Amino acid sequence: MTIQAITLADNKGLKISISERFDFSLHQQFRDSYLNYNDKGAEFTLDLSNTTYMDSSALGMILLLKDHADKLSGKLVISKPNDAINKILEIAQFHRLMPIEV
Amino acid sequence: MKVNVKQFALFGILTIVLALVNLWIIESNTILVFTYIVILAIFITIYLKKNKNDIDNRQVNTSDSTAAAHDEVAYAALAQLSAFLTQEIEVIDNELERTRGLVQDAVGGISTSFKSLQHLSTDQQRLIGIIIDNGNSIGDESGSTLASFVKDSSNTLEDFVKVIVSTSKQSLETMAFTDEMVNQFQSIFNLLAQVESLASQTNLLALNAAIEAARAGDAGRGFAVVANEVRALSVSSTELNQDIRNEISSAQEIIAKLRASVEIMASADMTSTLEAKDKVSSMMAHVGKANAQTGKVVDDMAQLVPQIVDTVGIGIRSLQFEDLTYQTLASLKSNIDAVHEISNELNAITEAGSGDLTTHLASFEEKCQKMIKQTKDDNHQRTVSQASMAEGEIDLF
Repeated sequence: MTIQAITLADNKGLKISISERFDFSLHQQFRDSYLNYNDKGAEFTLDLSNTTYMDSSALGMILLLKDHADKLSGKLVISKPNDAINKILEIAQFHRLMPIEV
Repeated sequence: MKVNVKQFALFGILTIVLALVNLWIIESNTILVFTYIVILAIFITIYLKKNKNDIDNRQVNTSDSTAAAHDEVAYAALAQLSAFLTQEIEVIDNELERTRGLVQDAVGGISTSFKSLQHLSTDQQRLIGIIIDNGNSIGDESGSTLASFVKDSSNTLEDFVKVIVSTSKQSLETMAFTDEMVNQFQSIFNLLAQVESLASQTNLLALNAAIEAARAGDAGRGFAVVANEVRALSVSSTELNQDIRNEISSAQEIIAKLRASVEIMASADMTSTLEAKDKVSSMMAHVGKANAQTGKVVDDMAQLVPQIVDTVGIGIRSLQFEDLTYQTLASLKSNIDAVHEISNELNAITEAGSGDLTTHLASFEEKCQKMIKQTKDDNHQRTVSQASMAEGEIDLF
């Protein structure tokens, strides 16, 4: 499994972890991981600590997740990207759109 | 005879000393020269006074013929002294004139070179300004600088990344819709399967009906026709179903192609963008550094200009020495003129060649005293007026 979605204990949020490559092949899986999570004010955490590669479709997927979170008046936090991934997020100016916890 | 020997010795010393004076003048040590001339004048006066006393004493003790002989010797000595003075004065005069000329030429040259130095420095500053302007521009018509070009590139790159990301997002949305559509197709296939099953049941029923009609014989003949038609319809219906299935299958193939192309659209590799961004960033840093350096150089150069102006000013102020030297030469000239006057006086006595030497010498002594007083006063005035060069400002001349 390259995508793991864990509902947090207090049921207040969803943690999605991506391992190794975050690219187009995951789009269906990624979408399915959050599409049925519809709690108001939910906090989504995208754990990228094990992600080693990311292309532009990953950025698109993150934006769609962000849209989903916004629709629920919730929020999205990106957690622990490595240097290379963080650089891509910076170039795409994602730090202006969502908090990135290094 | 005793007096003659004394005179002779004295003149010997005077000649040597005057020769030394000549040397000093060439070395232009004007104050020493002047001092020496004053001492010389005093010395001559003292000597002449003493001589006069001697003559007075002798007049009492010696006969007239001896006195006449003494006068003759004295006149000859005075003539020699006068000739010597005239010659030396002429030499000193010439040397003074030569010094004046040399100073004038040198000062003219130095002054011109300072002025052109000032102009050259201004030109240099202007040219360096042009170089800096050229270095900053990238040669287009709107006068963009390297810095603004790099900034534009950075903005363009950011816009480009934005487009990539938004394209990816839209493509993924498209993909989601496509997936929904594929699911819809699956439902259609399920419905088609039900229709097929209906058709096959109809076919079976029509077959049964045909069999029953055959068993009924003539009475069932009409019904057999109907049953056959129903069966034919069920077969057509099955064929139609198959056609629909085939069409939808080709639609699915097209959707697979659509997926592939949307995938390409959505997944742009960011590596090259990252590299470009890194390049632009390092270029920005470089331009910033280069600009800072250029700014510093320009500042340094701007500071150099007043320094050059100051230095040139010091040089020009130092050229005051021309004025001071002229003043010194002028007073030296007036001193020489004084000596010349004494010399003329002496000349007048020797030219007369006869008469009462005592009377002549008495008036000569008076003249000498007057001259000494006058040159002393002049010298005092000059020392007061000639202050240091460093004092006061002087403009270009």
